[in-house]
Amino acid sequence: MAGTLVGRNYTPPDLVAKVTGRAKYAEDFRAEGMLFTKLLLSPMPHARVRDIDTSAALSLPGVRAILTAYDLPDLDGQERALTNEPRYAGEPILAVAAVDELTAADAVERIQVDLEPLPFVTNALDTLRPGGPNPRLDGNVWGPPPPPREGAPPAAPPFETLKWTTEDFAEEAQGRLPMGKPAEEWSYGDLEGGFAASALVLDETFVVQSTGHHPMETRSAMAYWRNGKLFIHASTQSVAQTRGNIARWVGIAPEDVILICEYTGGGFGSKGGGAVSMSIPALLARKANAPVMMRITREDESYIGRARTNMTGRVKIGFAKDGRITALDFFIVQDTGAYGPLGDHRSAGNAASLIYQPPAMRWRAVNVATNTPPRSQQRSPGPMQGNGIIEPVMTKAAKQLGLDQVAIRRINSPEGKAPFGPVLPSGRRNHVTSAFVKEALDRGAALFDWEERKARAGKRQGSKVRGVGVAVGPHGAGSIGYDSIMTIRPDGRLYVQSGAGNLGTHSMIDLARVAAEILDVPWEKVEVVWGDTGKHLPWTCLSVGSQTTHAMTRANHAGAMDARRKLQEIAARDLGGSPEDYTVGRERVYRRDAPSRGLTYVQAARRAIELGGRYDGHDLPGDINPMTRASATALAGLGLMGVAKDNYGRDGVTYSFVIGFAEVEVDIETGSVRVVDYLGIGDVGTVVNPRSLLAQIKGGSCLGIAHALFQKSVVEPRYGVSLTDRFHYSKPLTILDVPRQMQADALDLPDPETPVGARGVGEPPVGAAYGAVMSAIADAVGEDVFRRAPVTSDIILMSLEHGRRMHEPLRMHV
Amino acid sequence: MDILTWGRNPWDQPVLTHISWNLLWAALFAGLAFLVAHASYMIFSAHRKRHAAETDAMEIARADLPDRIVRHSLPARLFHWLMAAAMFTLLITAFLPVVGLRFPWVTWHWIAGLTLTGSILFHIIHATVWLDFWSIWVGPRDLPELRAELLRDLGHDVPGPRPGKYPLGNRLYHLAIVVVALVAVVTGLCMMVRIRTPFFTRNPYLFSDTTWGVTYVDHGLAGVTLVGLVIAHVYFAARPEKWWITKAMILGWITRRQYLEHHDPDRWAVRQLPTPNSATPNSTTPNSGLASPTL
Amino acid sequence: MAVIRDVMPAFELFQPTSVEAAQAVLDRYGAGAWVLAGGLDSLDWLKDRIRRPQAVVDLGAIAELKGIRERDGGLEIGAMTTLTEVVRHPGVRERYAILLEAAEAAASPQIRNQATIGGNVSQDARCWYYRAGWPCYRAGGNICYADTPDAINREHAILGADRCVAVNPSDTAPALIVLDAQMVIRTAGGGERVVSAEDYFVGPGIDITRMTVLEPGALLTAIRLPRTWAGAQFYFEKIRDRQVWDFALVSVASAMTTSGSTIERIRIAVNGVAARPLRLRAVEAVAEGRPRNEATAVVAANLAVEGAQPLGFNAYKVPLMRNLVKRAIRGVEAAAWTS
Repeated sequence: MAGTLVGRNYTPPDLVAKVTGRAKYAEDFRAEGMLFTKLLLSPMPHARVRDIDTSAALSLPGVRAILTAYDLPDLDGQERALTNEPRYAGEPILAVAAVDELTAADAVERIQVDLEPLPFVTNALDTLRPGGPNPRLDGNVWGPPPPPREGAPPAAPPFETLKWTTEDFAEEAQGRLPMGKPAEEWSYGDLEGGFAASALVLDETFVVQSTGHHPMETRSAMAYWRNGKLFIHASTQSVAQTRGNIARWVGIAPEDVILICEYTGGGFGSKGGGAVSMSIPALLARKANAPVMMRITREDESYIGRARTNMTGRVKIGFAKDGRITALDFFIVQDTGAYGPLGDHRSAGNAASLIYQPPAMRWRAVNVATNTPPRSQQRSPGPMQGNGIIEPVMTKAAKQLGLDQVAIRRINSPEGKAPFGPVLPSGRRNHVTSAFVKEALDRGAALFDWEERKARAGKRQGSKVRGVGVAVGPHGAGSIGYDSIMTIRPDGRLYVQSGAGNLGTHSMIDLARVAAEILDVPWEKVEVVWGDTGKHLPWTCLSVGSQTTHAMTRANHAGAMDARRKLQEIAARDLGGSPEDYTVGRERVYRRDAPSRGLTYVQAARRAIELGGRYDGHDLPGDINPMTRASATALAGLGLMGVAKDNYGRDGVTYSFVIGFAEVEVDIETGSVRVVDYLGIGDVGTVVNPRSLLAQIKGGSCLGIAHALFQKSVVEPRYGVSLTDRFHYSKPLTILDVPRQMQADALDLPDPETPVGARGVGEPPVGAAYGAVMSAIADAVGEDVFRRAPVTSDIILMSLEHGRRMHEPLRMHV
Repeated sequence: MDILTWGRNPWDQPVLTHISWNLLWAALFAGLAFLVAHASYMIFSAHRKRHAAETDAMEIARADLPDRIVRHSLPARLFHWLMAAAMFTLLITAFLPVVGLRFPWVTWHWIAGLTLTGSILFHIIHATVWLDFWSIWVGPRDLPELRAELLRDLGHDVPGPRPGKYPLGNRLYHLAIVVVALVAVVTGLCMMVRIRTPFFTRNPYLFSDTTWGVTYVDHGLAGVTLVGLVIAHVYFAARPEKWWITKAMILGWITRRQYLEHHDPDRWAVRQLPTPNSATPNSTTPNSGLASPTL
Repeated sequence: MAVIRDVMPAFELFQPTSVEAAQAVLDRYGAGAWVLAGGLDSLDWLKDRIRRPQAVVDLGAIAELKGIRERDGGLEIGAMTTLTEVVRHPGVRERYAILLEAAEAAASPQIRNQATIGGNVSQDARCWYYRAGWPCYRAGGNICYADTPDAINREHAILGADRCVAVNPSDTAPALIVLDAQMVIRTAGGGERVVSAEDYFVGPGIDITRMTVLEPGALLTAIRLPRTWAGAQFYFEKIRDRQVWDFALVSVASAMTTSGSTIERIRIAVNGVAARPLRLRAVEAVAEGRPRNEATAVVAANLAVEGAQPLGFNAYKVPLMRNLVKRAIRGVEAAAWTS
């Protein structure tokens, strides 16, 4: 679906405020009598609070209230904002509200917390050792989630104790991941037969690092209470879906939460449905009977701000002579942090089965808890880690088989409704809605001058050697079944209610482009309403998992079609004939055979209000979500309302793909790597917003490049304390680390299983860049130089110097 | 004045780090104060020594004794001076930086510490096997001597035991040095794990924070105590009336008269060296004129 | 007493307009005073509440400490001159280009606009254990957390370690050493003392809690660049993870004059390998009088890393330093790729 709006660049309505600094983020708000809060964080990675003495703090002038875990509602054992059993160093124990931050900080310093240290573990493998310490009092490993039951909410996975034997660790000394009893596994096909029939078998271990999300805006929040309702300014990726979470964390009904978040300074998955820490200012404001501002510092954020799960993976792959994979055996030890559990390891397994299409595959995993900062989904959670573990192996295989890197990926790539993942209870495997990976590989190779660049790879000039790499980044790219609300009002404007978060992707606005396109309303006359649950927002997907563009273009397509139908009905009612005789265009609904006979949208909006019932939102569809119903009811009578649930069919699971092409230059005297050029090609369905889409591909690639080259999280093993608590330690990417002319492009081939044809794009570029850059480094200096990321100069230099890998083989968080 | 310095470990638990360096000044002050007090007292006191006549009589009676009597064998003297050199190096390298004279001291300090350790080990073996191990120790049987010496110091001419080989003060000092130096050496050897030496991998986590704190404090306390003890030692060595002892530590021997004047021949019996041709006591054998103390 | 970071505690701020006035405040507050130059290093310490001065003396209003002047055929750079001003100064560009390169390698453009050259050379050690406020040797304790069997010490020292294994992070320091810069110090008593850049820095063996010879109450007022090495052949390189806003893993600076292909005079210094920037005198001695070629570079480079003692994660600094010294002597061959 491309037209005058969809597929064209535009300036989103929030942009000027963002670039001029007028946009107000959570910490920019003020309220009469507002207090500030500061957190007291646990210095220990695992401890029990024996006693808290706050007397000296409370006696400090200006201190108003102290919130502890006792003031928080119970969340069935899930993570709460404050705790009496900290499970990671940096976990908040209490919060002090005072007239200003300095007083609050001075008060925190006066508090005596008596902590009893408990056993802790920072390296996931250590807790699996015989007699290894457990990260929690009740075990160390998350089991598989129980099968979903009809009508019941998904049950929490069991938390268990799993220890491997000494024999299981026998291969550790050789740098190979020990593979003891897995906690989860699936397989299909004839694995042994596949390996037996192969011409080459590679068995490699790779350590994928954890990385903090570190959005520019930390999870600051300000809250106050008015007439029993909680008003909270906070930073979230998803507005509609965060309201219920806040209600649960605070212990009130969702209707009593008014969440305001018009602008979000990034989230990358760490603020998917908000942040549990939002309950601190909310509950503290109630306790102190005054508004409370919680400004989260960069150091706070490095602890409570979430991080990617790190994975140590081992993969054994059999290849036929032509590069076709015959069997793939994948084992993952995932560090899911202090809380969770995360499912990245499952997504990694699914992604591997998708992009390499092995005829036989086994996936096994252990999802281990540790006393390290809590994890959440980080931009491409799972597939990206899988890319890191497997793509360098593909590159090595290509070299050993004398094949081209693009060719070996092309021959194994998914096509059309490609199957993936385990065999389901139905006896069948899932399949994707569509995949055009081969086309993307071909387009990218041509655009990147792959052959020309390949010809100079591996050749030295001075101390410099170049290499090229390619990788296929997949990610789930769309959900279904959400709602939309829009109204054409007597002022002649189209108001589109958007419950998505404004995390910088523009999908929050893009969804209205679809509605405007269908209703043929000029963009200047479209008003997108977003960022405030007090403004009556529809039930909207979480802005995570690259699903918003897919899910919400569908929902708004449905809503616009509903509005269009209502326009036709009103016209037919007033001007005669049947609704099918009418069409819409140029802000009118008119007879197809007599375009002069019709109603303007202004007239139609007035008529809808006069008619009432389903036309102006007083009578609503039965299948919409209660939140949508409440919002639509509040908007009823304002104009002609389009309101609908996305009931479009879908055959398959929606996935997007981005192919990364990288050329790097390695200085073999220093080990330094420079990314000379980079191209990301998207197989991401119809392009709705080209400029934003290409920015998403480039931005996601930047994250992947940073992961390949230097971004990391480091935990001190002796004290279990995070050392990368500042930007310059964790090393997110800077603009000077990427090529000046970074390129991106998209196939713009519509997905057949969604009316707009659009799939999500945010995540797949990350794994593509991660894999492509590491493949390029391997191409330049050798496939066996590194087995962990980030591939820093020390790793390269030491391996080249000694002729073999010298880095820590399996240790995590270094 | 704080005696101990505390820090907080990464878990925000209080940990001992070391003694307060104020204690160094306290030890210096204590050492010098003792020195002044003792010197003043000695000027005005009338310590009772053996009467000259009595010594004359004894010399005649014990004419069988050689002119020179060996007090410290060569190995014993070498040990003493080596230990003294190590001790001075240790104290200088430890405390000059504290008082503001800065130089890279750590390597010299542990090398001197190992030298001291080695010399102490040698001394223990040497004293056990070749010397009268117990002659330097203090025990209940020394109480009469203590009483007699105290009375003599107060000017009374009393009977009672006179010192054996080592006067009581000497032995008490030795005891103090043994305790303090062993504390310093043992803690110091542990502390070498915390710095880089060629001997083992540096591992500051070998002990718990508390154990390390105690180790550092003990080492510091021993160090400043040694400052006081060394001041006293040097002072006594330099005193004119003790000069004959100091000389013995250099030359190895004392005169027969000094032997008889200051010692109780019963408690430090000297006998002739069994020499191959010991026809006469004053023969011209290499050992001529020298006698060895009892073993 | 619980620990809290990232909230600057209260202190008295002084903004004197003369060196004398600044020193009067320093004298009055003694150990409770803190000297603030550009603030890039200071604010970390203050915000983390690890250093708790009573009084902060901001040197930003002292005119005589700013600017670059001609002096005795060389240049005198006021200690409070920003790195950006150093980078943009034509005299620096023409005669002392190595200082330009080094200053431009520091931090990020925004930081260089605020950071001063005096602050850059006087900044505190880099070690994430020390900077986290852990009670290590440098912080007055009795332990080095970075030199333990499991410590993560990729950025730490391979040379000159004495209990503490932190490194000096200054980018301009090695360049100043090879230029034979003279550091002008106003002592606490008000007298002037001039020390060479090489002698300005102290290692942990001498003083484990300080980085420079600056006594309490003393101020670095200017840095003089003598004529000695003006217009010489320079080499500067800083290896870091990111291309901007990152400290050096290892940096190298050299100045040399040649006669034909023979190295007449050379000075070479490195940083990021020890707690103080190191002038490599032995390397200079062996290189002088020899032809400027690969063979000389190899001999000199091997000599440079003699005695290096790597830790668990920083052994790469040995070949890295060796290769950088090599390059600083023989230069680098440019790659012929156009893009």
